[in-house]
Amino acid sequence: MRLWWLRMRVMTAKELLQLSRDPVLLIILAWFFTADIYIAGSGISMDLRHASLAVLDRDRSEASRELIQRFRPPYFEYQGELSSGRQGIRRLDRGTSMLVLEIPPHFERDLEAGRSTAVQLQVDTTNTVLGTLATGYAARIVARYGEDRVLDRLGVTDQQLAAMPRIEARQRVWYNPNQVDPWFMSISELMTVITMLSLMLPAAAAVREKERGTIEQLAVSPLTPFQILFPKVIAMTLAILAGTAVALFLILFPVFHVPLKGSLSLFFAVTALYVLAVSGLGLFIASISRNLGQVSMLVIVVLMPMLLLSGAWTPPEAMPALLRHLMVISPLYWFIELGYGILLKGAGLAVLWDSVIGLSLLGAAIFGFGVMRFRRQFG
Amino acid sequence: MKASRVRAVACKEWREILRDRLFFTMAFGVPLLIMLVLGYGLSLDVKNIPFAVVDHDRSASSREYVHRFSESRYFDLVGYVAREKDLDPLLADSRIRLGLVIPDRFGERLQGDRPARVQALIDGMFPFRAQTTKGYLEAINAEANRELLVDWLARSRGMTRERAVQQVTPVRLQQRYLYNQAIESDWSMASGLMMLVLMVSPPFLTALGVVREKESGSIYNIYASTVSRGEFILGKLIPYVGVSCFNILVLWLVATQLFGAPFKGDPLFFFIASVVYVICTAGIGLLVSILVSTQVAAVLLTMVITFIPAMLYSGLLVPVESMSPDARLQAWLFPPRYYLEITWGSFLKGLGWSDLWLPVVVLAGYAAVLWSVGFLAFHKRPRR
Repeated sequence: MRLWWLRMRVMTAKELLQLSRDPVLLIILAWFFTADIYIAGSGISMDLRHASLAVLDRDRSEASRELIQRFRPPYFEYQGELSSGRQGIRRLDRGTSMLVLEIPPHFERDLEAGRSTAVQLQVDTTNTVLGTLATGYAARIVARYGEDRVLDRLGVTDQQLAAMPRIEARQRVWYNPNQVDPWFMSISELMTVITMLSLMLPAAAAVREKERGTIEQLAVSPLTPFQILFPKVIAMTLAILAGTAVALFLILFPVFHVPLKGSLSLFFAVTALYVLAVSGLGLFIASISRNLGQVSMLVIVVLMPMLLLSGAWTPPEAMPALLRHLMVISPLYWFIELGYGILLKGAGLAVLWDSVIGLSLLGAAIFGFGVMRFRRQFG
Repeated sequence: MKASRVRAVACKEWREILRDRLFFTMAFGVPLLIMLVLGYGLSLDVKNIPFAVVDHDRSASSREYVHRFSESRYFDLVGYVAREKDLDPLLADSRIRLGLVIPDRFGERLQGDRPARVQALIDGMFPFRAQTTKGYLEAINAEANRELLVDWLARSRGMTRERAVQQVTPVRLQQRYLYNQAIESDWSMASGLMMLVLMVSPPFLTALGVVREKESGSIYNIYASTVSRGEFILGKLIPYVGVSCFNILVLWLVATQLFGAPFKGDPLFFFIASVVYVICTAGIGLLVSILVSTQVAAVLLTMVITFIPAMLYSGLLVPVESMSPDARLQAWLFPPRYYLEITWGSFLKGLGWSDLWLPVVVLAGYAAVLWSVGFLAFHKRPRR
């Protein structure tokens, strides 16, 4: 038994030494855990911000000006008036404006006479999400404007307003009250990086031995396949955990002010579990490929669907029903639930135990499968 | 520079690609796969938001209010819970994204012409989803209020209901969606994804192709041969650029045939622009291969410098105009943003040379810079 531990230790040390001898790789790893997360976390917001709006005002009245004024930042950015409809199309074609609002002649007269009227909004929907968002906001502004005009015209006083049946929906946003995008984006990127590296690094370490032929030496040594493979995984897990610590303490907490609501040790424990699970998948990839070119291609093949199906970038609820059920077999899905749960929501084991069990079972299955595949190759 | 030597290197490289079956399949398969997976999966639609309700009132009005949410396709009622405290664990465990609390005497107040208040708890973990949820919530609430206002006007001013309805909405908004009238997010995504795939896959292939020789040491054969560095780079990259050019056609077919995206522009213009883009991104791979000496490092570095810019800073998810000044600078620095302008312009807007010559020129300039830097930095006698 002592010998067993010794062998594991020596092999792990060997892997770490090998990793430290590739300075370019180390720099890239450092880049991943710092600059990459910073870049992904800063400056990107998927909300509608500053949608550029040009206006073709054919009425030029007080009423039309008041409506235009309601299209304000942060959602809209008023770019000025257009002189003709053709100019509007040109701006939309060029992409310099996203929206063109057209107010018809006699807008004010119709309003005052109590006739219903319509304003037209041309929306650039090459980006469908933002196109529909912008339309939604615009519709709300126009509806609100109409309501205000009506109450004004009917002479409804503030007193009467208080005696009207009206539902006020008070909103409270939890966990991220000001909806700071960097919180989400940086954690999400950290998880993506962890996933990618835990797929790539152990697989690369295993395949490199194959490529260089050093695997033959290991095969004739008294080590069992498990003793050859597991130290690789341990070494890479240590490296990734160190990187995660760097990312948390150098970028996430100090730069983006991500709050730490839950237990840090629980987060690291879960991360370690996750890295182990995913590296099993990496070993499986290594067992079916002969060189690194193949490994990296296969890693992309596995990584892409995993990232997409798990809600790292997109809301998972919007997926088709079939895919939503498939998410359960993606370890990242569990990791995201756990990671955000611990970091942002302050959830503990009492709430998250089912996800932990899910991740453990899945991880054990994947890892066992990976090692089994590799073992067969030695036989 | 001799054409015969370039051809010899290119032939050798092509044969190597052919002999590695898995690599060969992947060179064509991976771009296709990324396109399919992302095309079907990358949807930012916020739908079926799971929510739970605490109804202290249990009146007809409160049920009707909840019904407005549960019948819309944006919300998905998980169930009722008894107390507000029961919402906390559900939110923490991500089982619901929205909790609605309807207070006591909700219906009674509304009937008595008094304002009532409901409380909405929103999971803010994913800000985009929280923002959109808020938007839907406000829209549904506004609709409920409009109906209350119509009733009130009808009652207190003695109007007919029809007249009151007309009074309440004096201005309508007519929207016209341009370029993608049916708001098919597939159309925009599929065409936009060509940008992403062609940003990621050519540098991968080229970087791996060159670094593989470095790592295995076979590059010394090249160093020792009469092949000059220009001939080597050109011969080495031609097969990969060729593979990627073929992929342009495949991806174009997938976008138009499978995802049904319309192609309104000039095909020849689009193809030429795409080839320029591929040459440009292959240049990125060339630079990577010069910087690193192991294949792992090459793969990881390529991922870093291609994927994030293509995904986040290209305008695919967020228009460049809406970014912070910092991010906008990054968007200007990387090539994907220019190609996306070309793609969407060609596919959806039907533009051609006259409107899109500038981004093509920028890409060509970019390619020229990358290739010359690659040429200058590549040495046949590596210094140790």
